[in-house]
Order: sequence, then C-alpha cells, then structure tokens
Amino acid sequence: MKESIIVKILRYQPEKDQKPHWQTYRLDVPADSTILDILNEIHWNHDGTLAYRRSCRSAICGSCAMKVNGQNVLACETPMHKFRGNRLKIEPLPGFPIIKDLVVDMDGFFDKLQRVKPYMVVDKPIPDKEFLQSPEEFSRIRESAYCILCGACTSSCPSLWANENYLGPAALLKAYRFIFDSRDDGTDERLDIINDRNGLWRCHTIFNCMEACPKHIDITGCISRLKNRVVDNSL
Amino acid sequence: MPEKNYRETSRRGGTLWLLQRVSAVVIFVLLMIHYVTYHFIGDGTITYDKITAKMASPWFNLTQILFLVTALFHGLNGIWMVTEDYIHQRAPRLLLASILIILGLLLLYGGTSTVLNAGYPGRVSQ
Repeated sequence: MKESIIVKILRYQPEKDQKPHWQTYRLDVPADSTILDILNEIHWNHDGTLAYRRSCRSAICGSCAMKVNGQNVLACETPMHKFRGNRLKIEPLPGFPIIKDLVVDMDGFFDKLQRVKPYMVVDKPIPDKEFLQSPEEFSRIRESAYCILCGACTSSCPSLWANENYLGPAALLKAYRFIFDSRDDGTDERLDIINDRNGLWRCHTIFNCMEACPKHIDITGCISRLKNRVVDNSL
Repeated sequence: MPEKNYRETSRRGGTLWLLQRVSAVVIFVLLMIHYVTYHFIGDGTITYDKITAKMASPWFNLTQILFLVTALFHGLNGIWMVTEDYIHQRAPRLLLASILIILGLLLLYGGTSTVLNAGYPGRVSQ
C-alpha cells in the first residue's frame, strides 16, 4: 500500500548555493518505508543531486544520522510512521559544518574522539592468552561499548552549539568506556584530559544526548559517573 | 590548520561543580529551617515584632547568614557556569568574574548588616 507524503529537505550545494535552503518533494511511497527508503526513492527516481551518507542500513555503521522533524535519528532504522501527518522535515545534523545537503563534516567530532585516547592503554605485562574480565567488570562498560559513533548525541548537545571546542557526549562516553574498563591502565591520563572547562564541566545534564542516542545508551549517567570519579580523585 | 585548543587553563571546573551541589543541599536544609520557623512555629502568623524578636537570637542569625552566603554563592556560581558556555576569551571572562565577585561581596555586606541590625532591641519599632 502506498502513501502520499510531503518531504522538506534542507539542501545545500556548495558549488551554487550561498546558504542552505528548503526543497519540497511530493512522493508516493510504501507505508512501511524508513527515512532512508524515502531518501533512496528521491535519489534514485526523482532527484539524483541529493547527497546523503548511508552504508549498512542496519543501524550499526552510524553513517546516516540526521535530523528528522526536530529529532536526531538514524535514517535507516526510523520508520516514517514514527512521525505523524505524512510530512517530513529532514536536515543535516545540527552543530556540524555542512559539506553538501545532508552530509556534514565530522572531522572535528573524530578529532575530539582521538583526544580521549579511544584505545586500550596497557602498562602491565601482556598475558599469554587474554586479559580476563569478570561479568561484573564487563557489565560496567557493556552499555557504553554499544556506541556506533553516529554523532547524533554530540550534534544534539546545546553545550556544543554554544562552544565548538566542547568535547561532547560521544568523546566523553568513549573516555568512560576505557576509564571504567578493568583491563585499562590509562585512567589518570584520560581523567586529566576530560577534567577541563571544555571537557566534563560543560555538561549540564540536559539529556538531549540520551534522547538522540539510537542505541539508548545512558550517556548522561556515564558522564555523571565521570564527574564523580574526577571529584573523588581530587578529594 | 592550527590544532584546536580543547584544553584550557582552568582546573576549577570540578571544585565549582562540587560546591554547587553541596550548596544546593545546604540551601535546601536551611530553607526548610527558615520556612518551618517562620510559618509553623507559634500560630503561624508573621508580624514585624515576632520576626525582630527571632532575629535577636544569635543562633537564628547564624542560620540566616549561612543561608545568605550559600544562596549568593549558588546563584552567582550558576550565572558563571552559564556564561562559561558562551564567553571564551580571557579578558571578558576575567571582567565577568570580577563583576560577579564584587556583586557577591556587596550583597553579602548588605544582607549581613540587615540580619545583624534587625534584631537589636533599639531598632524594633513599636
């Protein structure tokens, strides 16, 4: 069964546009379409100039995060019926520079991720097989390890909109994932990096990151535990 | 392109964050003391004479001054935290911090002298 929908997309073609502008498409699409299906329909059958990122269409690669009707979502896993009224308003992720149409510049995002050393730092001797970790130890970091680095959280954070140097929720969550990992030895170094006015202390527990996260990670909770950890260490 | 400066100078973020939470708890307790002593002890009606009589007690005054200090700190530190989001250059931050500290001290002086003077029998109007 097909449904008629009206899709407004924020377009920006750097070779001819001075600034982003809205373009409206009227389509008939299957009722069970996702946002990505709709973008594909436009790109393949209506307007080949529309640029957007996509890859796995299984909510695991983190390429297709965008703002739909005011919410940051993954286009591939979001059915159009999540939004009422058969009207969609699709924009690139806010807070990042636009490269073209729905494609944003994620360089700053990944630079900030690098800052918190997003890899295992090990000082102790390497064991013959593997570092053992108990289920309890793993349960502390399991949820934070679900992050797919789509950028929906960082892009939704008002603190980042006000201050582009703020590390942002994704980088802080990655710091949490290693700081609370029993096998890692880089805790002090990472705590020192995030204990900064452009780091942890710009988080005002606004919870936008949690609403945006497609993996439903308790990001604000993790950042709060990091704050407690820093304060505990300094007392 | 030069490397962006994600690290800044201030390490006081954590201290101010902790003090903001501690002062919130203290304010809550003192507010309850304030509320209960004014509105529920006695017959609950507030008159000028009753208040001035209460304010003659040094213990009561101590809670009021502590309330004043924590509330001033909590409010002004809150304003500071908000402006930290938007003001990033050193000079305006320094100016703003100075204004907030001076404002805090002035209000502290005004409030403290009110609390201390209000309880003296000579100041009670009949």
